[in-house]
Amino acid sequence: MEQLNSLDPYYGSIGNARLRGTSGKAQGQNKSPVQTNSGQPISPTNLSQGSQSPISLAPKIPPLPNSPSLAQNISMDDSGNAGANGDDALSVYHLPRPLPLWLNAQYAKHIVKGNFMTLSARPKTVEQGEWIAHQVVEHYRNLWNFVRVIHEKEEDGTTICNPQTCPRMSAGANHSFTWLNYKREPVELPAYEYITLMQRWISGKIDDTNIFPTDTNGVSYAHNPSITTTPLSQLSNPEDKDWIGKASGFPENFVEVCQTIFRQMFRVYAHLYWAHFIDPFYHLNLEKQLNSCFSHFVLTACALDMLKPQELEPMQPLIDLWAANGTFPPGSKAYEYSNQKAGERLMQLANVA
Amino acid sequence: MDPNNRLYLNFNGNERLGAPSDRQYPTTPSTFPQPVFQTPSQQHLAAQQSASQQYAGGYAPQGNYFAPNPYQAPADYGNAQGAGQYQPRSNTPGTNDPNVGLAHQFSHQNLGGAGRGNAYGSRGPSPGQRPRTAGGSGQQPGYSHANAPPMPGQGSRQPDFQPAPERNPEKYGLNANNNQKKCSQLAADFFKDSVKRARERNLRQSEMEQKLSEPNQSSSRREQIWQNGGKKEARYLRFLRTKDKPENYTTVKIIGKGAFGEVKLVQKKADGQVYAMKSLIKTEMFKKDQLAHVRAERDILAESDSPWVVKLFTTFQDANFLYMLMEFLPGGDLMTMLIKYEIFSEDITRFYIAEIVLAIEAVHKLGFIHRDIKPDNILLDRGGHVKLTDFGLSTGFHKLHDNNYYQQLLQGKSSRPKDRNSVALDQINLTVSNRSQINDWRKSRRLMAYSTVGTPDYIAPEIFTGHGYTFDCDWWSLGTIMFECLVGWPPFCAEDSHDTYRKIVNWRQSLYFPDDITLGAEAEHLIRSLICNTEVRLGRGGAQEIKNHAFFRGVEFDSLRRIRAPFEPRLTSAIDTTYFPTDEIDQTDNATALRNQAMAVGKQVEESPEMSLPFIGYTFKRFDNNFR
Repeated sequence: MEQLNSLDPYYGSIGNARLRGTSGKAQGQNKSPVQTNSGQPISPTNLSQGSQSPISLAPKIPPLPNSPSLAQNISMDDSGNAGANGDDALSVYHLPRPLPLWLNAQYAKHIVKGNFMTLSARPKTVEQGEWIAHQVVEHYRNLWNFVRVIHEKEEDGTTICNPQTCPRMSAGANHSFTWLNYKREPVELPAYEYITLMQRWISGKIDDTNIFPTDTNGVSYAHNPSITTTPLSQLSNPEDKDWIGKASGFPENFVEVCQTIFRQMFRVYAHLYWAHFIDPFYHLNLEKQLNSCFSHFVLTACALDMLKPQELEPMQPLIDLWAANGTFPPGSKAYEYSNQKAGERLMQLANVA
Repeated sequence: MDPNNRLYLNFNGNERLGAPSDRQYPTTPSTFPQPVFQTPSQQHLAAQQSASQQYAGGYAPQGNYFAPNPYQAPADYGNAQGAGQYQPRSNTPGTNDPNVGLAHQFSHQNLGGAGRGNAYGSRGPSPGQRPRTAGGSGQQPGYSHANAPPMPGQGSRQPDFQPAPERNPEKYGLNANNNQKKCSQLAADFFKDSVKRARERNLRQSEMEQKLSEPNQSSSRREQIWQNGGKKEARYLRFLRTKDKPENYTTVKIIGKGAFGEVKLVQKKADGQVYAMKSLIKTEMFKKDQLAHVRAERDILAESDSPWVVKLFTTFQDANFLYMLMEFLPGGDLMTMLIKYEIFSEDITRFYIAEIVLAIEAVHKLGFIHRDIKPDNILLDRGGHVKLTDFGLSTGFHKLHDNNYYQQLLQGKSSRPKDRNSVALDQINLTVSNRSQINDWRKSRRLMAYSTVGTPDYIAPEIFTGHGYTFDCDWWSLGTIMFECLVGWPPFCAEDSHDTYRKIVNWRQSLYFPDDITLGAEAEHLIRSLICNTEVRLGRGGAQEIKNHAFFRGVEFDSLRRIRAPFEPRLTSAIDTTYFPTDEIDQTDNATALRNQAMAVGKQVEESPEMSLPFIGYTFKRFDNNFR
């Protein structure tokens, strides 16, 4: 335990955070004896989303009463010489062997180089809510470019992602994502249907001008203590509640909505990697595009606190790899959430270290 | 020729406005992501660099994103420009001169180049280090060395990754492959656009900080600067995430019509801003093989930030049309001027030709050949200065590189009824002093300009003889325009386009300076140096050759755009179309009609129209101070 924690200062906190983790799977289907992802009753957002629609579109993760923490996982894992080398860092992920192709640094490359932070960083004058809204829409458009490939029907009605290839919305053997049905019970759906629901749900939010206002007269700016004197939100009544985006006309639950959207998008990306990286993206020569959009997505989502560290789990090894190879620059949240040891090990395995 | 009809250059009013504001733009900032164009050798090189070397210093912490700013804008630049150098010449106070835009201060930045060490995108191993992924014993599913320490350099250890199969895109259907193209293109566009936007945003930020740091500013002024900056950025962000549509604009007047669509003066409903909106009919573009041209025009306009090029604010599309929202230039075009004044004095000609030289030079510097420079494409802004428009498609030039088309025209009969039936020009000696005939031609030329065919009068012979052409074909066009300014008609003017083509190809025989018009020796020399074979054409070695010609002696090219133009439009409002022959243009709004028709039929588009493959990536949105 101690040794493991000393591997990486952030690791311990990830373990703790996983107690409240949201990624999970139905109990009793664990393929791995050790890897039991804990889930907890989701955030209020998720629940309220469920109530907005007769067939609930809200993503939902069943609570697992006895879910062990990551720390327990690690302690149960008997990887003999724990500590020094990256293999241990990797082994905690219980990845299938051989490792997925997308963890091969050879295929984790990009169509862009340079520092993505320049694209994610909020301009100083721009109000945070406005910036988040912008990022949500941009990343959703990007994601849909990839989803379209696996999701759009051919003339004969077939799709690349279908109930036969993907009976569950899975991200590897250890993760699958569920929706709430009308009784608010989590149900497993074929990935194709899950993605359809996800798309409908997200565009319903993004196109709702009450949540994502488009009137150019309603804009605001970022408060700057050394320049701006009175934040507008406090003019009316200092006791009024303030929230991100309030001054720009975004609703009180705006951040929660955006977090849920990002979480949903992350799940779809995870499915694209785990289930469709080779078939079709690699075959169609799109893996660099996918890598670039996904890494930019992760970097942005972490920087804006749209994704919590524990939510990254299904894709953690790739994030580690990108932290180790410089895709995520030191100082970025995504880097902070990573285990570079594991990433370095992956690079070693791919002979690029 | 009525001497009163001549326009003379207003030299007295030519006060030089301000110091030259030569903008200095920073070179490519190193921290911006850049598209990767990998070659195996680069990969090899990159692989030899160590991680620590590659990333050290490449990252600026988020909090300091703007702080270590590599751009040092000239201290008073923002002010000089912002205070409105053009302002004193505005004839309509209270309207926004579109040329004094903040966006004008942001140059196009080269995305490529400036390759930095932190090329993590190309960090692949050399081919020799490629992991053996197929067939090896390491690929057995049961094989695992998870607990074994790595043993670098030991050949027996195989990387433990899933094998990479042979790529096989053919195994997927048509839609998947189409979607592959869209996806690839859109992902590339996304990063290219995002980098460009981030760069421009960065510049705006540093400009604002410059303003903030000026001494003796009240705190309320500083607060205002900050707030305006933030709101302007926010408006742009909202604009980016909203879908624009033609219904957001009201049509004031149709100011131009062509084979592929029309140009309307429109006002944005939300804020009353005035634009020129060009709508192009998709099916026509597709049928007439104009897609490459539309794309070229969109690209050049989107990339250019030159004062010599008409500004494009946004492009969008619906099921039937492509729309280009451009700045409205109230001064009309050179064709209308020439129809009105017939000929220009040498001084006036010198001014316009000199400006056109600079405009063509600007286009060439962007890497484009215009190929269709003609008076209809030379617009005048509110100050009376020149701007080029119509890149790549113009009012319907068929397949500019389709040689067959031209060969057909050159051999034998015209392939269509004569389009200049109303004109009866003496074909043998075109330059007869029969003014009434010339006037007939003049009347017909606007019709000609709006026809499907367009006028070939200004096109260089090498373009349609099929022997290849290069940048200097635009200088030929310059020569023909100069001829027209001084003589009153273009040099190869003929009864129908077929004859014009023939005359152009046989330019040695057909180029003729009428006896009754006296041209200065230098003017004639310049024209003859431009209307000639490409091998000896002036300008072949760059625009400087032309600028150095004796005809331009005394012209200060660097400050030309800042002197007063000989003709300044007098405007009564922001939507004044005095300088457009709107009464000669059929005001039927075809685009709106067609759209309503389609809606009445209830035609539903399954997917958003910007996703139709041929028009992918057409949509473009520029930051501009029009988002007040």
